[in-house]
Amino acid sequence: MTWEYSEKTKQLFMDAVHGAPGTHMGEIADPDGFGEHGSIACGDALRFTFRCDRHPSDPLQDKIVEARYLTFGCTSAIAASEALCAIIEEGGFTPIQALTITNQDIVEYVGGLPEAKIHCSVMGAEALEAAVFNWAMKRGVDLTALGLDITRQEQEEGRLVCKCFGVTEPYLRRKIAELSLRSIPEITNAIKAGGACMACHHAPGGLQDILDEVWGRQPSGSVALPTVPEARAEAGPSLAELSWYQLAKQIERVIDEDIRPRLQADGGDLEIVDIKEMIVYCRLVGACASCAGAAGTMKLLVERLLKERVDERVRVIAI
Amino acid sequence: MNLVYADNNATTRVAPEVLEAMRPFLDESYFNPSSMYDAAAGPAAAVKAARASLARHLGGVRPDEILFTSCATESNNTAIFGVVKANPSRRHVITSSVEHPAVLNVCRELERQGLEVTYLPVDRQGRLDLADLVRALRRDTLLVTVMHANNETGVVFPIAELARIVKETDPSIVVHSDATQTVGKLPIDLVGELGHVDLLAFSGHKLHAPKGIGALFVRRGTPCRPLLLGGHQESGRRGGTENVAFMVGLATALELAAATHDVDEPHVTGLRNRLERELLARIPLVEINGAGAPRLGNTSNVSCHFVEGEGILYQLAAAGICASSGSACTSGSLEPSHVLRSMGVPFSAAHGSVRFSFSRYTTETEVERILAVLPEVIASLRRLSPYWDTTTNQPRPEAAGMLHGAAAAHPR
Repeated sequence: MTWEYSEKTKQLFMDAVHGAPGTHMGEIADPDGFGEHGSIACGDALRFTFRCDRHPSDPLQDKIVEARYLTFGCTSAIAASEALCAIIEEGGFTPIQALTITNQDIVEYVGGLPEAKIHCSVMGAEALEAAVFNWAMKRGVDLTALGLDITRQEQEEGRLVCKCFGVTEPYLRRKIAELSLRSIPEITNAIKAGGACMACHHAPGGLQDILDEVWGRQPSGSVALPTVPEARAEAGPSLAELSWYQLAKQIERVIDEDIRPRLQADGGDLEIVDIKEMIVYCRLVGACASCAGAAGTMKLLVERLLKERVDERVRVIAI
Repeated sequence: MNLVYADNNATTRVAPEVLEAMRPFLDESYFNPSSMYDAAAGPAAAVKAARASLARHLGGVRPDEILFTSCATESNNTAIFGVVKANPSRRHVITSSVEHPAVLNVCRELERQGLEVTYLPVDRQGRLDLADLVRALRRDTLLVTVMHANNETGVVFPIAELARIVKETDPSIVVHSDATQTVGKLPIDLVGELGHVDLLAFSGHKLHAPKGIGALFVRRGTPCRPLLLGGHQESGRRGGTENVAFMVGLATALELAAATHDVDEPHVTGLRNRLERELLARIPLVEINGAGAPRLGNTSNVSCHFVEGEGILYQLAAAGICASSGSACTSGSLEPSHVLRSMGVPFSAAHGSVRFSFSRYTTETEVERILAVLPEVIASLRRLSPYWDTTTNQPRPEAAGMLHGAAAAHPR
């Protein structure tokens, strides 16, 4: 799987990492607009700032004259961040006009993105939106009065659907509609949701259910695939049977009273790792651990005494 | 510009000696070893000799315990599914959380089929705790399958100890090991040290044989049903016309590895140690994943905090350096390496991991090139990173906490 980036994407990335003239890496001190999107856990994060030529009386006539980014992310995330800043600066937009920039504009600017990288352009559009919202607060602009609905709270307040990437139901619904996402792979490519453990794909109230609700049920869409189970440590079998319990206690007593004192006299000791039915898993520690006769000690001292004093069937395994 | 190839855990260059040994069986001696005419005797003898050579180099096992396959993935599938098919009464399997997908995804398939699988955890250095194995063993445990060395970090697992504990507990439990990364790099003794291992899988292309050939050691008496049914080849345990040239190639490669081991091992380890020493000295906030555990001498998994691995690889590739990464953007999924997450490597480092893996063909000059390029690549990406303060060349104060917390898997 090699890189499928356009020449423009590669160029934007290489210029950015080399700090070529005209690139936009950095952060504006005391910016007029500040927005962030993503997190280090998700694998990419963008901090976007812009500075305006402020209009003396009408904030709506502020013009964005400088845009900067800091991005943690892959080649296309960095190229998309460059593209975002370049589009804004070249356009001479007001912040409200800048809101018309979509992730699709970013995709076109970078000369197209592989499907699995579409989320890089969405990250740019999201950070821009957040920055404009921040500008509006600072400048006392009422976006709702302008008929704009930027509700940054929805990410925090909705029901969590994709736990891996922290994506909520209201956000999913908005993005599914805005970006015309029709299938689970399209959702994952655009906003990452469902891209890790996949447990939310076909769970009740999961991605497929939300897609069905937004677009109407698609007859072929939802086959209930089994989800990938989580890795987990097994607790081991229950030793709840009283006889095993008593046996283990007896083993422990013989080790404590008859075996450990002898080993301790030689500067060593015995650590019980586990007792499972008739098998005692243990390790010699201290001076005994490095003793050449360790294997013999286990069999001739530990196992023999346990067989004699507890049960003929007891076995000792060194670990 | 000469390519710097530092991705030998992904695949290796075919050794010239191997290619030479294979050539006749692709050319004039192309006959099916199963045919009756005299001309087929050559290929038949070559298959027999290749099998005997592999058996000898795995500690002196019996030739009929060696099964040729097409790749390590097939060997692992054959071993695991084969053992499950042969033992329907036991329903519990133990593996590790850091296996290669060729084992991990087979285990997940077993879970879908109703078996129970225990995934042994690893610690921050990538080590197994054998006490976890002991706790996991059950009366209905059928199979323990744990890799010999990890492909991403090079951490070597104590397979001999593990197999002994399993067999002393219950000799009926089958022990399988995916040794794809160790055959040809570590001595493998299936009669002595690894005498308790029942099945062992590997492939040719990690040790300078071509892609498309693998092998599975199956100890006599191990209950294991075939996966590929067909002709009488491999004593009926794996149908399909013998891939004569590639079998010869695999045997030759292993002979070569054994013959040059005493030179190759210090060579790659020396280069690897030099690389790590210099990177630690030249780049702030890097860590070597698995450095505290026994490791293969050729592998280095380097995490550079607060940068993303794909951007590193892209710039390395532009400078003619081939390596790989455990970052999400290169994994084909959106999550960083399951191995690093199992080790509890923080996200700030897991996304910025790069694996360098050397071979006998790696040169001092190649390592120099990596050392000349990588520090600036990391610096260039850190200048762009919202978590890095370029003036102090340290993480920003608000990001420093990420170095220790938020490890392991995503919240589920």
